[in-house]
Amino acid sequence: MVQPLSSQAIYVVLLRELKRYWRAKSRIVASVAQSFFFLVIFGFGIGGFIGRIGDVSYLSYLAPGIIGMGLLFGSIFSGISVVFDRQFGFMKEMLVAPVSRTSIILGKILGGALTASIQGILLMTVALLLGAFSPSITLGIGIVAAIGVMLLITAGFVGLGVAIGSTITDFHAFQLISTFVMWPLFMLSGVFFPIDAVPPILQVAMLCDPLFYGVELLRWCLLGAGTPLLGPFGWLIALGVIACFNLLMVGFGTYLFSRAQA
Amino acid sequence: MAIIEVDGLTKVFNGKVRAVDDISFNVKEGEILGFLGPNGAGKTTTLNMLSTLLRPSSGTAAVNGYDIHEEPDKVRRSIGFVFQDPTLDLELTGKENLNFHGLLYGLDRDLREKRIKEVLDVVQLTDRANDLVKTFSGGMKRRLEIARGLVHHPKVLFLDEPTLGLDPQTRRSIWEHIQRLNQEKNVTIILTTHYTEEADYLCGKILIIDFGKIVALDTSDNLKARLEGDVVSLAFKDPKMILQIRPIFEKKKWLRRMDVTSVGSNQSMAGRMMHMMRGMSGGMGMDGMMSGMRPESGRRNESVRHKGPNIQSVGPRRLNLLVDDGGRRIPEIVKLTNEIGILLESVELHKPTLDDVFLSVTGRNIRDEQGSFMEMIRRHRIMQQARGHRDSG
Ligand SMILES: Nc1ncnc2c1ncn2[C@@H]1O[C@H](COP(=O)(O)OP(=O)(O)OP(=O)(O)O)[C@@H](O)[C@H]1O
Ligand SMILES: [Mg+2]
Repeated sequence: MVQPLSSQAIYVVLLRELKRYWRAKSRIVASVAQSFFFLVIFGFGIGGFIGRIGDVSYLSYLAPGIIGMGLLFGSIFSGISVVFDRQFGFMKEMLVAPVSRTSIILGKILGGALTASIQGILLMTVALLLGAFSPSITLGIGIVAAIGVMLLITAGFVGLGVAIGSTITDFHAFQLISTFVMWPLFMLSGVFFPIDAVPPILQVAMLCDPLFYGVELLRWCLLGAGTPLLGPFGWLIALGVIACFNLLMVGFGTYLFSRAQA
Repeated sequence: MAIIEVDGLTKVFNGKVRAVDDISFNVKEGEILGFLGPNGAGKTTTLNMLSTLLRPSSGTAAVNGYDIHEEPDKVRRSIGFVFQDPTLDLELTGKENLNFHGLLYGLDRDLREKRIKEVLDVVQLTDRANDLVKTFSGGMKRRLEIARGLVHHPKVLFLDEPTLGLDPQTRRSIWEHIQRLNQEKNVTIILTTHYTEEADYLCGKILIIDFGKIVALDTSDNLKARLEGDVVSLAFKDPKMILQIRPIFEKKKWLRRMDVTSVGSNQSMAGRMMHMMRGMSGGMGMDGMMSGMRPESGRRNESVRHKGPNIQSVGPRRLNLLVDDGGRRIPEIVKLTNEIGILLESVELHKPTLDDVFLSVTGRNIRDEQGSFMEMIRRHRIMQQARGHRDSG
């Protein structure tokens, strides 16, 4: 069935996501503080005896990964919030309106990507203030590119969150999803250790993690280089993988959402 | 012309609960149809199917000429829905909720502002419009929810127990607005309610549904006229006396029907609560508690309905007699009770009301149905048991 898109509907849902994000100040503070602790404690703590990774300090190495963590958690949570919408009834208000489910879910995905990216920008600022990136003109360009990258990598994860949220029916499943989806995605994204330093089996696992490519892209933007394993055109590979992942997840999320009943 | 045509609509949940059982009816354009029925009768489920939120198990319906299976988008474009359960976004302000609704329904800015002002006025929330909904009282949320349903003017409006729990003034102002909307914009309305005053005031036609089946469909006046005669309602000093007097009345030729009913919803609720507690202290657990609410539900091997409530249960009860020429019967009725030494507390005479109609077709008192959650659970259980019987028997 062809579902016509309505820009007004997409806009409404997106606007709602933004307003809700902005009003949940404690969530913003908690996420920023969490990343701050990670950066300071791991960056300076572990960094103290690890020293440098490649050309950069451990803090610099860590920073894109921690930003990636904020993006991942923020965007998956945004997607999963369709469960709350259903639980608190607002979903019915949207589903009974004369707009296609595709419009609703696209609004949701755009809104989720936008709010998670705002979160990412906040974390990037924290990292910058801690001295993770050396200021230069190239960094200025890199930051702009990084913001684009954030929007890109979050969209797929919101889609994944929507897919999960359309499948589970209650809150009890959250613990499972956190343990078996979010944490592995985070830990395997190469945030703490470089991929060329681990055994092959773990390398394969890391190469299967879409967030790995997201963090990789952020490293290209903010540090000017990625892992040697992917070669000099690693950023292109990463971009390609993420584009595929996005298409897949947005499609998957939309499909599962459209199938679910109110 | 029929703007809603329902044809054999059926919904079976989980393969066993027949929430809506092969119903068919039409609603003419510009009509206000009142949907009455005990808790769990299938009212909400029917509306959910008509609004394309729920897929029917079988049967179909057309709304504004569009089939709910074939053209759900066009159906949704034709309708508005005020839900029974809360559906507001609590993290948004009142006005934002209304504005989002207007946007979702494609109203332009000017029209949105005009309508929002208008509906806020109807539900008297203008001065709280910019507060977050989570700071609203229950009644205020309900009012906002209704206001939202009135922002766009659809061809067909579904109102699922719109005024439940609202104070009389607000209720009246909402009634008037609903009526204006109906008359000026020719909006067709299906409204479910447990308030017979509401149905009488607003609805041209009344549909009573019970166990997923239509048990009555006509104008309020015709339904009342079907109960020819008058209702003589007796209250006894001791409810147990109802047991003694019933057989005596039953023999009388002038008696058309007889129903036992509780006096008022509050008292009957209290009675039910007391019974529940007894059930629990008797160590019967949840099962005892549930059946204790209305003793008849515990009798599994009998047809549960149309036996009338068990008289031994707590709480003052009335005996309603439908008789010819009620005024002339009263002396005889009083005489009969005196003869066997039963003390009457009061006698009332009235023309049949919608309450009496409801009682006569469902065997239940509509005043008991108002917003009782436990009642809903109870009915659900009875229904499943009843189905079980039918399936096995
Ligand atoms: N999603 C569902 N899953 C399973 N059973 C359901 C579901 N929704 C409703 N039911 C059952 O269907 C029956 C009809 O429910 P419905 O909500 O339509 O009743 P109602 O007439 O609106 O009652 P009320 O006056 O209490 O609102 C009930 O037995 C209910 O338990
Ligand atoms: Mg209902």
